[in-house]
Amino acid sequence: MKIVVPIKQVPETSNVKMNPETGTMVREGVESIINPLDLYAIETAIRLKEQFGGKIIAISMGPGSALEAIKEAVAMGCDDGVLLSDGKFAGSDTWATSYVLANGIKKLGEYDIVICGERATDGDTAQVGPGIASFLDLPLSTFTSEILSVKDGRIKVKRLVEGGYEEIEMTLPATMTVVKEISDPRLPTLRGKLKAKKIEIPVWGLQHIAVKEENVGLKGSPTRVVKIFTPKVARQGEKIAVRDEETLNEAVDKIMDFLIKKEFI
Amino acid sequence: MYNSVTPEIVDELIEIVGSKNVIYDNKEALEAYSHDEVAEKSYAHMPEVVVKPSTAEEISKIMKLANKYLIPVTPRGAGSGLSGGAVPVEGGIVVSVEKMNKILEIDKKNLMVVVEPGVVTNEINNLIKDDGLFYAGYPMSVETCYIGGNVAENAGGGRAVKYGVTGRYIYGLDVVTPTGEILHLGGKRMKDVTGYDLIHLMVGSEGTLGIFTKIYIKLMPLPQAKVDLLVLFKDIDTAIKIVPDIMTFGRIIPTSIEFMDDLSFKTSCKYLNEKIPFEEAGAMLLIELDGNSKVELEEQYEVIGNLCMENGAIEVYIADNATTSERIWKIRRNIAEAWKQYSPDQSLEDVVVPISEIPKFMEKVRKISEKYDVPIPCYGHAGDGNIHATPVKNPKFTMEEWLDILHNKLLPDLYREVINLGGTISGEHGIGHKRREYMSMAIEPAQLEVMRAIKRALDPNNVLNPGKLV
Repeated sequence: MKIVVPIKQVPETSNVKMNPETGTMVREGVESIINPLDLYAIETAIRLKEQFGGKIIAISMGPGSALEAIKEAVAMGCDDGVLLSDGKFAGSDTWATSYVLANGIKKLGEYDIVICGERATDGDTAQVGPGIASFLDLPLSTFTSEILSVKDGRIKVKRLVEGGYEEIEMTLPATMTVVKEISDPRLPTLRGKLKAKKIEIPVWGLQHIAVKEENVGLKGSPTRVVKIFTPKVARQGEKIAVRDEETLNEAVDKIMDFLIKKEFI
Repeated sequence: MYNSVTPEIVDELIEIVGSKNVIYDNKEALEAYSHDEVAEKSYAHMPEVVVKPSTAEEISKIMKLANKYLIPVTPRGAGSGLSGGAVPVEGGIVVSVEKMNKILEIDKKNLMVVVEPGVVTNEINNLIKDDGLFYAGYPMSVETCYIGGNVAENAGGGRAVKYGVTGRYIYGLDVVTPTGEILHLGGKRMKDVTGYDLIHLMVGSEGTLGIFTKIYIKLMPLPQAKVDLLVLFKDIDTAIKIVPDIMTFGRIIPTSIEFMDDLSFKTSCKYLNEKIPFEEAGAMLLIELDGNSKVELEEQYEVIGNLCMENGAIEVYIADNATTSERIWKIRRNIAEAWKQYSPDQSLEDVVVPISEIPKFMEKVRKISEKYDVPIPCYGHAGDGNIHATPVKNPKFTMEEWLDILHNKLLPDLYREVINLGGTISGEHGIGHKRREYMSMAIEPAQLEVMRAIKRALDPNNVLNPGKLV
């Protein structure tokens, strides 16, 4: 089984500061890491390989520094990696990124499954996984929470939907994006780190893959960022203080009245 | 033997510090100053009045007043201590330094900061990190504790293997003595043998010899990179044998070498739902390295990692980024929290033994644990031989039974074993009043008498933090 895992290098955001004027992240001095949600995709791939054998290739589009993310993926257990890096890719939106990644994957040759993280923690769009599926014309399962079976050229998965789960079966090759509950990512071991240190990661630019220059980078991106702002949370609430049994009963009555009035119950 | 605080004395205190800096006759507000982070409520005691001075002169006046009326005074930092040092066991006045929280000077030319005692320790590092500097003292409570308390306790913590403890970085102190004199000790001098080393008499004096009002701290160049290794071993012996090898064969001094026994990490890993194969392990080491480049650290972790693998480690995990590093440290940091689910009543000990005696010490701990049917998870700073052996109340005991077992049987047994192995009863949390009754086990009579003579010389009326340490 040949598995491709597209990953993204993102700024470490747990201590991130926002520039209040521009609404953008202050990236200076911020460490770069593998998008934390991609770790679940890597883990899923490793477990499939452990079960069925095969090969895992991590692929990323980004600047030269993204090599580190790919090496970390190798340290965790991926077999190989490719970096798609070219000055002309800079500024790509989710459409152009999906286009470049899909063409990078095509160049890898035959594969059975493409596993992506749910979304990246910096852009938060969750569009690139589905975008890749679309460019590759593959079946897609988003928000995949469990792999139920793989046999006879088909994969059966459980996916998270609003209010529950859905089971679907896809023919292989297929694409999926995975959610946290699918697995617990492993930590890189010393052995993995040593392997990653030695491995040569090929870097492919515009000329290496079958993409048109007018379709990549800022020029090739249909998305225009008009304004970036932090949305205001508009939920309204009321706190009812409870001190004793009496006020507890009053609070329950008040909540019941509200729910009945709003026709929730 | 002490007098109570009368409304007239409160008036005099108000005259010194102003009415808004005095808390009196307000049980709720006073309660916050009655305890530190020691979990057992029996160690708490209410103050009669709390004052919040802003200057050395104000503190000097308070001390003179305390001597005049024979009122006990207890100095207090952030109250994050673990030996009851800031608890006013005799009532009286609590002098809180919370208002004295200014960073007075950042002197890059001399690599020094000058601060007031109420500065939160972490704030110093936040302020100087952009200048490529840092203060290497690192108590685990770094985000809440005050630097004044760190100096008073000579706080240790997680980086002591490489950087030593608080006292190493203290080059000057302004101190108000128990009788109200103001001393200016040391300063920005790298060398100073002019007279007795009074600075380091004050460091670790637990608020019994003086109240600090100004602290001169030496800074270091801030390392630009760090990496953590989590190493799983089948047993404690194998894990501890590696510790000196890291330095002798590896020629590397890590910033920390933290140790966790199986009781500690299994509980913590389960609590965190951590999926590394911890069930197979009998001990873990968490080793942190710092340096100026990732390449340099890569070489170092390879040396240490290979050394561990060649000497019986089950697995070595490498964390060189925020995601993985946080995941590894979480296991260590959540041990106490995870054990709270079993019982919130714990006695966090911080005994010290020579590093090579840790396995023998652990054997003794297991025996004590079995004898009293009390779980004693052990974790801590293997690189310093400083182990947080933490007896946790077995829920089958009533509170009364537990306190009896703990204080009269278990702790004396534990301390005796520690001392027999060439160790001592506290490495970083201090004596305070929590361990005072056990001092004579650890310190010979002649030594204790020297300490008491010093105390008497400086505090003839025994008004400053009585009931602590000596």
